[in-house]
Amino acid sequence: MATVRAPSSWVRRTGWEYLPRVREAAVDVATPALLCVLLLIILGFRFPQLYSSNGLAGAITASAPLILSVLAMTSIAISSPGGIDLSIGPFVAFVNVGIVHWLVPHGLGNPLYVFAYAIGVGIAFQMIQGLLIGLLRLQPVIVTLSGYLVFSGLNLVVLPNPEGTIPHWLNDWGAATSVNTPELYLLIGCFVLWGFFARTTFARNIRLVGGNDKTAWVSGLNPVLVRLGAHIVAGVFVGLAGITLTALLQSADPTQGAAQTLMAVTALVVGGVSLSGGRGRALGAVLGAIAIFLIGYVIGTLNLGTSESFVSGLIYGAVLIIALFIGSITGSALGVRKRAAISTEVSQ
Amino acid sequence: MTSAVPDLTTRSTTSATARLKPVLQAKRPVLVSFTVLVITVVIGIMSIPSFWSLLSLRSMLLLGSFLGIASTGQTLCALLGGLDLSIPFVIGAADLGTLWLLNKGVAQWETLVLVAIACAVSGAIGGLISYRLKGQAVVVTLGVGYVVLGATQLLISHNSQNGASVFGTVPKWLVSATSIRSGVLGNTPPAALVWLALTLLVAFGLRRTWLGQGIYALGGNRIAAGRLRVPERRIWILVFMLSALMAATTGVLLLGFSAGAVADAGDPYLFTTVAAVVIGGTSLLGGYGGIGLTAIGVCILTVINMLLIGWGFTAPAQQVIIGLLIVPMVAMYGRAPHPRMRI
Repeated sequence: MATVRAPSSWVRRTGWEYLPRVREAAVDVATPALLCVLLLIILGFRFPQLYSSNGLAGAITASAPLILSVLAMTSIAISSPGGIDLSIGPFVAFVNVGIVHWLVPHGLGNPLYVFAYAIGVGIAFQMIQGLLIGLLRLQPVIVTLSGYLVFSGLNLVVLPNPEGTIPHWLNDWGAATSVNTPELYLLIGCFVLWGFFARTTFARNIRLVGGNDKTAWVSGLNPVLVRLGAHIVAGVFVGLAGITLTALLQSADPTQGAAQTLMAVTALVVGGVSLSGGRGRALGAVLGAIAIFLIGYVIGTLNLGTSESFVSGLIYGAVLIIALFIGSITGSALGVRKRAAISTEVSQ
Repeated sequence: MTSAVPDLTTRSTTSATARLKPVLQAKRPVLVSFTVLVITVVIGIMSIPSFWSLLSLRSMLLLGSFLGIASTGQTLCALLGGLDLSIPFVIGAADLGTLWLLNKGVAQWETLVLVAIACAVSGAIGGLISYRLKGQAVVVTLGVGYVVLGATQLLISHNSQNGASVFGTVPKWLVSATSIRSGVLGNTPPAALVWLALTLLVAFGLRRTWLGQGIYALGGNRIAAGRLRVPERRIWILVFMLSALMAATTGVLLLGFSAGAVADAGDPYLFTTVAAVVIGGTSLLGGYGGIGLTAIGVCILTVINMLLIGWGFTAPAQQVIIGLLIVPMVAMYGRAPHPRMRI
């Protein structure tokens, strides 16, 4: 069949539109990148210690759990409309509690067991969520909200108070004396891994199912399997986030969940990952996570004392709303909203 | 002719069940949730000796009415196809703000009006943003909630109190309105009457007003409702405003209950409001359900809570169990259709 093309005079093209992929990437990444640069400049004045070897190492150690959590959420967010994982904070804390409370006392603290446990539990839980969302077609918000409740309760049942010793080798991870930390290599490794993963056909299928599952289904894809795969990928990163959280805390803390979830959701949105599904890239998400982490540093330099907790809540909430607005504006600039509107109209 | 006769006879014999079937289908959520309620109550009576005592019933009714008032707003949002996750934060903010204003010497009715206006405005803003960013309404309300509570705490901590709690004297009428001991009309806690009145009012509003019908229309099919000139933006704003007002009512009542204000007063209501809506049988996809279903859901949740306390579960363990109950309940009503059904 001959392809029908609109005459070129119908469509006015600007320079950017000849490079749609590059343009889309630039729009997604621009906001978090600019925010990061701005915050790094502010911190240069307010907290110059950040730019020492110690300061950078500390920052890497402290931001690793958030970055890995956001990578996990990116995979889930791309795979379905409204695909937001609210359970992430309490679940990462659950991995942390498990390592300290179950593995170490039983002499299973060597890296092999810890990694196997963390990644295994992460994949298992994410598979359950993925099946509930994919197979039973429940709303992701409800499934993950119930995961949030279950794990924030379970953490306190298992370990009522923050306590415990971590495996010896994780001491070095948390020591943060030089930039040369294991976390840095872990993060780089994950990022490279994601780079390969994002270029596979499978990742493209995830984007298709997330963007429009009707089209995906008609094209012969199985939305259930694809969503399950996206959740398995997320499970790997969630497990690694639990390990880095253990290294950061040097202990186990059952109450870490709620704040972590808000920070991760904010980072995801700042990073240009659309919660309507199908759109988002790891570079943006990671930059978003770094920006959120740096905002925390800036709030820390204000010396707010007891009011710090709610001022940071206020600021994260405001950043979340502003980022959503920017996302919707850039999204409509890309025609994403128009496409989404058309697809809803067809579906109704 | 001969073949038609058996057809007729079978049809006439099955006609009673055939006529009943669509009715049962339509009323399934009510039947299911009411059955669950009866079962939980029976389990309670059998396993906990003092379950059916007046004091225990009255305290369940009181705790249920806090949840019920907050869940009313959540029901409206769910019928519209959204969720309001800002409810716990608005409850906390109203709780703190009311006592703070009273401590400053503002008259009681002025305080209530001010708190109502503040919450209504924050709800309206949340509704407007949710409407603009349709697919992401859930996250918007989360962000709005954090901003509302953070701003309230910032305001309160301004004159060197810590922002997490406020102490002071709560008005007498508010304390007695939410006390298990006091009672009107045959020992009913007054807060329960507020809940009952609100439920009846909303039930009437959903059936008989343009707003109520518009909510169902928008929840059922946004495009079709738009074609029918249902004012979408106005309804989103109004619904989230009402939800914030009901959360504020809960916050003020909780102030009387606990005789002091804390920022995390609303924390349990983040999930329980959603759970009450879902367990009752209102679909979170929008367009199907009602306030009566949520009332049943609130009763079920309160009874289950009482059972778990009676059986000696700690608060975190209760959380785990209610979290595990929610998925099978949503699986009964709130499933999205398969892609092949939507093409």
